[in-house]
Amino acid sequence: MRETLQRENSTSRPLIGLSSIVLALTFIPLIYLVIRAAEKPGEQIIELLFRQRTLEIIATTAIILIAVVLINVLIGTLIATGIHFVRLPYAHLLIIPMILPLAIPSYVFTYTWLALIPRLSGILGAIFILVLTTLPYMMLSVVIALRRLDTGLIEVARTLGLSKVSILLRVIVPQIRGAISAGSLLSGLYVLSDFGAVSLLNVTTLTVSIQNLFKSTYDRSGAAIMALILVLASTVFITLESGLKRKQESESATRRSGTKHLRINNSSAKITLLVLVGLYTAIAVFVPVSVLLSRFFSNAVPINWGELLSAAISTVTIAASGAALALLFSLPLGALIAQGNNRFSIFAERAVLISHALPGVVVGLALVSLGSKLGPLYQSTALLAFAYAILFLAKAVAAMSNSLQLVSPAVKEAAATLGKDRAAIARTVTFPIAFPSIALGTLLVFLTAMKELPATLMLRPIGMETLATQVWSYAAVSKFNEAAPYALLLILIAAVPTFLLSLPREALDRTKSSVRDLQLGESR
Amino acid sequence: MAKKVGLSLLLALATALTLVGCSSPSDQESSSTELTIYSGRSEEFIAPFLAQWEQESGVKLNIRYADSAELAAQIREEGSNSPADIFLAQDAGSLGAVAREGLFTALPTSVGVKIASTYIAGDRSWIGITGRARVFAYNPELLTTLPQSITDLSKPVYTSQLGIAPTNASFQAFVTAMMNSKGEEFTQRWLESLVKNDVQIFPKNSAIVEAIDSGIISIGLVNHYYVWEVSQGLGREIKAKNGFFASGDLGNMINVSGAGILKSSSKYAAAENLINFLTSQEIQAKFVTQTLEYSLIANEKSPANLPTLSAIGAPTVDLDSLNNIQKTQELLIKVGLL
Repeated sequence: MRETLQRENSTSRPLIGLSSIVLALTFIPLIYLVIRAAEKPGEQIIELLFRQRTLEIIATTAIILIAVVLINVLIGTLIATGIHFVRLPYAHLLIIPMILPLAIPSYVFTYTWLALIPRLSGILGAIFILVLTTLPYMMLSVVIALRRLDTGLIEVARTLGLSKVSILLRVIVPQIRGAISAGSLLSGLYVLSDFGAVSLLNVTTLTVSIQNLFKSTYDRSGAAIMALILVLASTVFITLESGLKRKQESESATRRSGTKHLRINNSSAKITLLVLVGLYTAIAVFVPVSVLLSRFFSNAVPINWGELLSAAISTVTIAASGAALALLFSLPLGALIAQGNNRFSIFAERAVLISHALPGVVVGLALVSLGSKLGPLYQSTALLAFAYAILFLAKAVAAMSNSLQLVSPAVKEAAATLGKDRAAIARTVTFPIAFPSIALGTLLVFLTAMKELPATLMLRPIGMETLATQVWSYAAVSKFNEAAPYALLLILIAAVPTFLLSLPREALDRTKSSVRDLQLGESR
Repeated sequence: MAKKVGLSLLLALATALTLVGCSSPSDQESSSTELTIYSGRSEEFIAPFLAQWEQESGVKLNIRYADSAELAAQIREEGSNSPADIFLAQDAGSLGAVAREGLFTALPTSVGVKIASTYIAGDRSWIGITGRARVFAYNPELLTTLPQSITDLSKPVYTSQLGIAPTNASFQAFVTAMMNSKGEEFTQRWLESLVKNDVQIFPKNSAIVEAIDSGIISIGLVNHYYVWEVSQGLGREIKAKNGFFASGDLGNMINVSGAGILKSSSKYAAAENLINFLTSQEIQAKFVTQTLEYSLIANEKSPANLPTLSAIGAPTVDLDSLNNIQKTQELLIKVGLL
């Protein structure tokens, strides 16, 4: 057995090599930033960093970030636990409308809400829209954790006579803390890199400031300096989150899963849950879709079906290519991180997250500059797909490493003792167990890439339009009616992967518990 | 079952990737019947004219739309590798910045013969296509005290009521003109007085006009055609009107949208033909009626409900001298407007 383990260690050398190559690729934008920032004379850098405006921008960004994450933690956890525990017919289907808003880009939320409340603007408006946009991340994360809850502990707590509230606070919350923190990370990083919503609401966050400097100045070092501040901010945020996560992992080392569920069958809880779910569905699904539909039907200009179709095809093709590339890149990184706790894998995990927090505009800018030296790659769809892969690699890597972690070495060893070779183990053991989660990760990248705006605006080949860029350019000239068909089609297409994401992952959970049983059998 | 679905998903992704791989090289193939344009003019208003030329000339156009300053920076970045043949900018400043780097070729005198010489770069590196006046747009229901000069805008009556778009190339060109005529110190003090008066910052001119219409602010510095553009986009009358400052005030400055041909282009003939089309009597008249911009041909009609260029009371500004946008931008950063 020790021999097998050693063999695995020695084969991780090519893994480290491949991972390093992928990491080097993802670091292209960051290296570009540093080079660009360094072009400015020292005193101008200091002046830019410490002017009052920069401090205001940092404060604005921090306020929005903290508020959105806190609201998400409270509401997201509340609704997710409600959906999981409150006894309602078809309760598991309630998660679908809660996840569906993932299909709606933040700039579409903003347009549609602006149609209802033209005065919506400022920090409060931004917090409102960004909570709508990011709540599904939190919900998804917590719901999945709840499905894996150690219900044995809950039973113990009940026999000890603890009230439901204290069971929630003392037994359940500690167990899902990792998921809450992962959800906070996802929504927080989204807030840091969002461009569409905040700029429409006239709020200058770091990302908006970078975009402004990029669009409006001839000298791009200013934008690079602000971008480095943003990278620093995300690094701090990621470090805080991983501190929380590590603590949680060590506490739950002796987890055991059971099958019985604690059920809440109290009518005021039922009503509260239904009201919360109904309210969120109304403001995050019903309002945007109905505003778009009414714009769509009041649009006097005939729809250019050819343009609509070609924009849809471009959107799907490039997003799918980006997702495929991200999948490819995530293979070595995911395997490396799944293997565990060496220093390089921890570094790799954080490095991937940092590139995730880079705004699309920065990645776009770096690739525009490098691209002009790349000949045929310049302004090609391949380069845009590459940008998506860099931007959303973190999602693919997280799915990949989580799913590979599901496959315990014990199972592989068991297969090895049965005389299977490595390829056969990969095909018959690793792949079937890891596949569902990897597929979901790839879908998530696909979904996010479809909605991406700033990098798409900069890197799309000349003359090519995607649904997102069409929505943006029509709306930019106040032609909201003409933007509506593009926005509706974008939501419709994005709803497909979103729906798949929201399905209960019974298959996944089943394999997971069987793996765990095996693990437990081994350790006994 | 799940495995099959998964495999076909992977297969689909792989196919998509291959398609992408195949489609990219064709974008780069150069052909004598294609021109690449970087356009800082928004698609909605210039595209119909370009489409008409495409049809008449049989030359295919590849057009990249973005902000003028952004495209100017991109052209600088690309240098001699730029795929662009023509840069169509919304203001003289962005054109001047590219000209300053020596990236434009000098246009022969056979190009844009009808355009008044005031609107052509001295070295013929670019040529004006349409004229636009700086104005203040205002909500007549909310604002009764109209400013006579840009220096009035720091008065208490405009506190939190004034909107500007510092990222916009036309605004920057106006500030550059101020730097040139009144000096950096004056300009900095003026900008700081606006900041102190809680000036509201917007991402672009149309957003200013929309905010005026919805009553968020009551006045804003924009180009003259945005009131009409926003009203067109919304499909209704809006609560915003154009106003001019006192005659000769810098706030009434006239700027141009214009075009230059990149030195790195190999298609001068087709590019010159397009510029001649845009500066022809017929198309200039169409700009006046269809996008409400000014024709740059002497003694042409002005757009509906607007004074002629000579009746605006515009200050004398040498458009050629607006090329130092970088210095303007540094100042805007310094005072915290960018």
